[in-house]
Amino acid sequence: MNDLLRIKHLSMKSFLQKFFGAFQKEKQKGQFNHMRGAFLTSFLILFCLLGKAQNAQVITGRVTDSSGKTPLLGVTVTANASKKTVITKDNGEFSIPVTNADKKLTFSYVGMKTVTKNLNGENNFTIMLTPDNTGLSEVVVVGYGTQKKESITAAISSVTSKDIERVHGGSTVSTTLAGKLPGVTFRDAEGRPGASASIQIRNMGTPLYVIDGIQQDEGQFNNLAPNDIESITVLKDASAAIYGVRAANGVVVVTTKKGRTGRNNIDVNAYRGWQSFFRFPKVVNNTADFLYYKADAQINSNGFNYDPATSTWTANTSITQGILDSAKTSNDPQYRTFDWRKYVLNNNGAPLNSVNININGGSDKVNYYVSGTNLYQNSVLGSQYKFQRTNIQSNVTAKLTNGLKVGFDINGRVEDRQNPGVPGVDDYFLARLAVLRNTPQERPYANDNPKYLNDLGPHLESNYAFLNNNLSGHYRDTWRVIQTNFHIDWDLPWVKGLSIRGLGSYYFADELLNNQEYTYKAYTYHPADSTYEVTGGATNPWRERGQTKNINTTLQVQAAYNKNFGQNSVSATVVAERLQLHHLYNWLHANPRSNFLPLVSYPIIDQYNDIDQTQARIGYIARVTYNYADKYFLEFSGRRDASYLFAPGYRVGYFPGGSAGWRISDEPFFKALLGNKTDILSSLKFRGSYGILGDDNPNNNPIVAPFAYLPGYNYGTVGSAVLDGVTVPASRDKGTPITTVSWLKSKITDVGADFTLFNGKLSGTFDWFYRERTGLLGSKNDVIVPEELGYNLAQQNINADAQYGEEGSLNYYGKAGQVNFTIGGNLSFTRSKFLHSYNPLFFNSIDQYRNSYEDRFNNIGWGYICIGQFTSQDQINNYKVDIDGQGNRTLLPGDLIYKDVNGDGKIDGLDQRPIGYNYGSQPQINFGFNFSVNYKGFDFHADFSGAAGYTWYQNWEQRWAFQNNGNLNAIFEDRWHRQNIYDPNSPWVPGKYPANRYNPGFSHSDYATQSTFWLHNVRYIRARTIELGYSLPQSILDRVKIRAARVYINGYDLFSIDNLRQYGLDPEVIDDNGLQFPQNRVINAGINLSL
Amino acid sequence: MKKILSIFTVLIIVAGMWGCKKDSSFLDVQPNTFLTNEQVFSDPNLVLSVLADLYNRQVDFSSLNAGWGSFADFSESFPSENSGFGRGIVQNTGWGYGSWGLNWFASYNYIRDLNLFLQRDSAATGLSDQQKKRFSAEARFLRANFYFEMVKRYGGVPLITTPLTYDYSGKVNDLQFPRATESQMYDFIINEAEAIKNDLPADVSEKSRASKGAALAMEARAALYAGSIARYGATTPAVSLPGGEVGIDQSKAVGYYTIALRAAKEIIDGQAGAYKLYTAPAGASMDQLSQNFANLFIDKTSPETIFMKDFATGVTHAFTTNDQPFSFSDEGGDAGRLNPSLNLAEQFEKLDNTFAPFATTDASGKPVFYKNVQDIFADRDARLAGTIILPGGSFKGQTVDIWAGYRLADGTIITSDESDHLKPLPGSSVPVQVVGGDGPVNGLELHTQTGFYIRKYLDPAVGSGRRGQGSTVAFIRYRYGEVLLNAAEAAFELGDNATAATYLNQVRARAGLTIPLTPSDIDFNRIVHERRVELAFEGLYFYDMKRWRLAHIVWDGRPTTLSDLKTNIGKATQHSTQPWGLWPYKEYEPGSPNNGTWVFKETLPSLVTGANRFLLGNYYTQIGDDVIAANPKIVKQPNQ
Repeated sequence: MNDLLRIKHLSMKSFLQKFFGAFQKEKQKGQFNHMRGAFLTSFLILFCLLGKAQNAQVITGRVTDSSGKTPLLGVTVTANASKKTVITKDNGEFSIPVTNADKKLTFSYVGMKTVTKNLNGENNFTIMLTPDNTGLSEVVVVGYGTQKKESITAAISSVTSKDIERVHGGSTVSTTLAGKLPGVTFRDAEGRPGASASIQIRNMGTPLYVIDGIQQDEGQFNNLAPNDIESITVLKDASAAIYGVRAANGVVVVTTKKGRTGRNNIDVNAYRGWQSFFRFPKVVNNTADFLYYKADAQINSNGFNYDPATSTWTANTSITQGILDSAKTSNDPQYRTFDWRKYVLNNNGAPLNSVNININGGSDKVNYYVSGTNLYQNSVLGSQYKFQRTNIQSNVTAKLTNGLKVGFDINGRVEDRQNPGVPGVDDYFLARLAVLRNTPQERPYANDNPKYLNDLGPHLESNYAFLNNNLSGHYRDTWRVIQTNFHIDWDLPWVKGLSIRGLGSYYFADELLNNQEYTYKAYTYHPADSTYEVTGGATNPWRERGQTKNINTTLQVQAAYNKNFGQNSVSATVVAERLQLHHLYNWLHANPRSNFLPLVSYPIIDQYNDIDQTQARIGYIARVTYNYADKYFLEFSGRRDASYLFAPGYRVGYFPGGSAGWRISDEPFFKALLGNKTDILSSLKFRGSYGILGDDNPNNNPIVAPFAYLPGYNYGTVGSAVLDGVTVPASRDKGTPITTVSWLKSKITDVGADFTLFNGKLSGTFDWFYRERTGLLGSKNDVIVPEELGYNLAQQNINADAQYGEEGSLNYYGKAGQVNFTIGGNLSFTRSKFLHSYNPLFFNSIDQYRNSYEDRFNNIGWGYICIGQFTSQDQINNYKVDIDGQGNRTLLPGDLIYKDVNGDGKIDGLDQRPIGYNYGSQPQINFGFNFSVNYKGFDFHADFSGAAGYTWYQNWEQRWAFQNNGNLNAIFEDRWHRQNIYDPNSPWVPGKYPANRYNPGFSHSDYATQSTFWLHNVRYIRARTIELGYSLPQSILDRVKIRAARVYINGYDLFSIDNLRQYGLDPEVIDDNGLQFPQNRVINAGINLSL
Repeated sequence: MKKILSIFTVLIIVAGMWGCKKDSSFLDVQPNTFLTNEQVFSDPNLVLSVLADLYNRQVDFSSLNAGWGSFADFSESFPSENSGFGRGIVQNTGWGYGSWGLNWFASYNYIRDLNLFLQRDSAATGLSDQQKKRFSAEARFLRANFYFEMVKRYGGVPLITTPLTYDYSGKVNDLQFPRATESQMYDFIINEAEAIKNDLPADVSEKSRASKGAALAMEARAALYAGSIARYGATTPAVSLPGGEVGIDQSKAVGYYTIALRAAKEIIDGQAGAYKLYTAPAGASMDQLSQNFANLFIDKTSPETIFMKDFATGVTHAFTTNDQPFSFSDEGGDAGRLNPSLNLAEQFEKLDNTFAPFATTDASGKPVFYKNVQDIFADRDARLAGTIILPGGSFKGQTVDIWAGYRLADGTIITSDESDHLKPLPGSSVPVQVVGGDGPVNGLELHTQTGFYIRKYLDPAVGSGRRGQGSTVAFIRYRYGEVLLNAAEAAFELGDNATAATYLNQVRARAGLTIPLTPSDIDFNRIVHERRVELAFEGLYFYDMKRWRLAHIVWDGRPTTLSDLKTNIGKATQHSTQPWGLWPYKEYEPGSPNNGTWVFKETLPSLVTGANRFLLGNYYTQIGDDVIAANPKIVKQPNQ
């Protein structure tokens, strides 16, 4: 035994050397020093506890693929009675000690059909495994455990690492999920470095993220390294109930990679991408054209002046025909053209690259996965706008004795965003605004001398020449995060099938935000005396620092019991869980006395905010499952949850759930029905579930403010007053305490079916669901209390809404000669509806029509129905309906005609009708499909996704010409105008848009109100990832001692078919001015190496 | 042995992880953001913190921290901002009946908090009687002053003086209070002021908290308003309700005027502290008098200020940021929104007590050429340059660059749409600046459109106009100058022209108008005019026009012509529905003596397309349907 221990010591020592070698590099960066101590401690525990085994006989053998030629590494070989497990080596060979009780060996391997062999006294086996395309034997992560796919009775979808790692379109995990999962809605509105897409499950709201068993926030999910993710599973129905607290909007369960037992591997994955804006609005970039359109718009706005003396009309604009002529022909410097769009979007091909190196492997005693990833993303707006992230992941599990496992998982990252510190809230905005606001007549530098920033007057702040680290300032926001999980699994030796598990997690996130915006000067050049005069700039320095510390602790204790009685198998799980979130934040603002002073000193501080919040929740969970012959499945679960948010007495909620499944395809009568041809309908399962989930924090907002149940005064939250020269923080009465509010209840029904056809080549799933939420807050207004009462009646859990829809997916696997291919797709639809409030009251029927939510779809956009455009002044003069509220005197040919819905001869609020879905929300319809094929060393993959059922509308820069006295959006070149703009009697030339006005704002009937002319219900289908790869043949690799090598090129967002192309906009943008930072089109080249 | 050790370890770790806390104590997170009622009312510092909020929730019709829009309306200025409501002010043809309203719920929520404060303060056991008395008087002052704000807008409103509670009985009769009459409202304010004035400090240096002076100033103003509504309301009998919720019987006028004069005199006689006008040293030049008048609104130690809303580092407002001349802005961003109109500028008298428009043309209609740009404004009331930044005026020691272009001998104008768009003048090829850096350029926002910028309340301190910093200038709610004008008006209405003249002359002398008015000079026009120029941009003009029932006459919806502008200056009924400007041009006639002189042109900014129309239904702000639906005892306003 001592010898054994020594051998283990040795092997572990060499492992440790390797292991910490990887960390030495990180350590040099100075960030991970403290983690080492924790590691050593946990390993010490492991060593102390190593046990020994009892052997009777040794069985050996070899495992290969179906061809019998390629040995399989890492196949799990298990003895049926002693549960002894070993893993095959490089050459596919294994050697397993068995006891006399062992009668069978099973061989299992991901993606292959599991094979069971009787021992029959043989002691040497050759096994061939065949691919399993049904996916039924796949293991899926469910709440507090895993289940085989065939026995699942819930609505669950998952993707694995190979699907995620292929997407190189952004820098966060959410951006990889477009179209990948049925029921997961996706919108990627923002493409700036480090941005995330918005994902929801069935549009039920912000989901709960659970990473390796620990509840986490969206930021932690998004900033995992995609390479470290083994799988992402979404729980869409009552199966989420097992996660209980905060799981009412569905759960996204992430599992990070664990060491595969077998040999030690080193994998290297790297790519380099070149980014460009997918789309961005175009502008007029020629001074002569600009002046022409501006004159046209000014004349349309201001009209013509009649001079009775000469009986002539003069157009009311300062831009004369003479000016237009000289702009076209003369070399006068004031008519030179400057192309701001080209100038601002100057960093085309901005890099997006990532390098991941991981070491993984292990033995039957220890397995490990240690990974380091660095990602860098730059911006098309300039190389100083950037995002960088370094991740480490270290998952180590050790078997101490038979039945006792200890694991220690660490996830850490440094996430860094830097850009020029720019005036205004969003530092990325002014650069984009510059494209549309700055006119071709304006130039960045005075006299084109780069030493002198040109004073552009009101457009100075969008002079891109100063939006850089030297002139405008520097912004840096860094998160440093470390997550440590410690877990112990123990199979109790006294009761067969009973195991307990303890899990402790400590999460620490630190944010440091530093921003300094400088003062600067801007100049005007005077050619008369060749001088540069300071005429503008900023005297306003801005210095801010924000610091966050989030400390989350999770403790779980679980007990699980599994037992088989013949065809019956029963399992039960109980869990107790405590969660505490602690959030600390402080923020200060200062006015530095010089641009050269980055440190903050006391006298210059003028604002300081301080926040310290704690949340606490407790859950007790029980679940029982029953399975008969893998044919009938039943599951019941229940939770008791308590939240700190509610008054004592209202804290606890009880939430039961259950599900059932029936594999009808295993029924003899069904088989008989099909004529026993199992190769057509290989499997069919019906399933249904119903459960109630509790929610105290819908959409990341507490359902009631913390401590709302206590009376008192809020201190310092409502500003300060200056009394007798002293600044006194103000306190306000909290209002009447809300003492009776408790959990919101989310009741989810799901009915679905899973099937496979043609021997598993075609598989599919379908789900219908209905979620009703009750207990939304509202007031019990049995009587209307006078407003003079001075307070609102406390809210109670009385309103209800619903979310429902359906989704499905189909996948086909095929083979033709040496060509393997897969094709798959999914489609989902979901809508939300408000059900009822407590005793709704309306003043009149119009009020009810317009403002009632009762039993109506949520998120309806209202506006006028545009039924055409006027084609002549005559038509306007004779038109019976007052369109503009001013007898149509403000109208010109081309202006919009609205439908007079109520026929009262005038257009007003009563003529508005529902014309759109929600603005800025998730799509109601989402779909995706993918196609892949491989032949010999080549592989090709393409995936597409699309969506519909959401609304975007043109506003600001997209609705009216010359917004901000700026440049003309090129879409407005196609507009109604007079053939000769200076002649009031010239004929009108039709165009798409109404006659341009100069910077009209909301003052004209065309622009004042939402209408079908400006509003677009968006639909798109776009290419997400198209990839071509080549794996180097084994013969070459053997020579250079590399196990596997693959190179690829990959394009993201190559094209899109949609209805926003004509505006130069990405179909997923939200901002109604169209100036949002769009998604990027990325061309990547990459390599995967296994050493 | 190993097995026992490992099991033992597991048990230790599991037990340790669960911790020793009971569930209930684990969930009992301790709040750190609020105080219990008992804590607050046992510590005067915390009571003051509650009072700080109650002070903050006072509302003003115009105030420095509530934006610039309310200063800009009524044709007293042009709103130079394209987005937001800037354009609406000059493009609408009138006002909605709901204009100038308060949020009804928030108002009564504030009153409830005041009533709760009074209840808790009187029940407090941890405070001295002296402390409780002053705190209570302050809250009552704030409540009375707030009801004053409500009655100015709505007339009578439900007068709630105790915290109400709904008991879920389903019966709300006891909670439905009808509107008080308009005179009951004013009586309440007057009585409260009398009841609390001796519990408050009579100290001229107490300006940001309630004082005896503030209580009396509120009383004087309220009584004056009540008196004038009683007297001039008779000219618009339609503006009244049978129950008296709107309108005050004419017979009560004398009584109210008497109270107003008495309360004002208590301040003037020094019974509330050593208040006096903020004056320049004897022998000051006109420039210094203007500077002195401007300083009155900057200097927080001024003995003229009775009650103010104060600001300090970290508690700032953006008035200067919004309204400073354009060239002082950061990044050409925020500036220039509030451009006083020519309509107002012309009201400032000449030093001989006569009224005249600015002379832009001579009798034959030819332009008048001025050597210096400021010459046209010479010999006027010092308050003109103290209230308005004129062309050629200065701010922060720098000349403000206001001119609209070059004028050639034939009258052609050469200008540009931006000051940095240079152009050559005739006979030259070198481009030069052809319009002032501060405007005016027709339609160019954030630059003056009238040729004027606001000076009153504009903060000359470094950084005051920066977006990230802001101004700490205080807003004055009551000042001694207004008290004198209130006393003068009350005396005039009581037939005592001699007293009225005395008080008016004190105010006028400070402005350089040293020729005293005689009792026979005093008439209603004089009273109206003096308040308009002295109190411009202090949030009082609008209510003056309402209480004198002049609003529907002055803002009659008829466009304002140039001749309207130039005639009837100084008359209470002069109509003023559109803000005009006065644009200076540089004369360009090389070789001529006129070259380099200045000419001026009255200009209506082209964005002005509406004309103000004040309807009888505008005299009292509409009470919302939701308010009336919830309390049917509230009667609707007349004429709506």
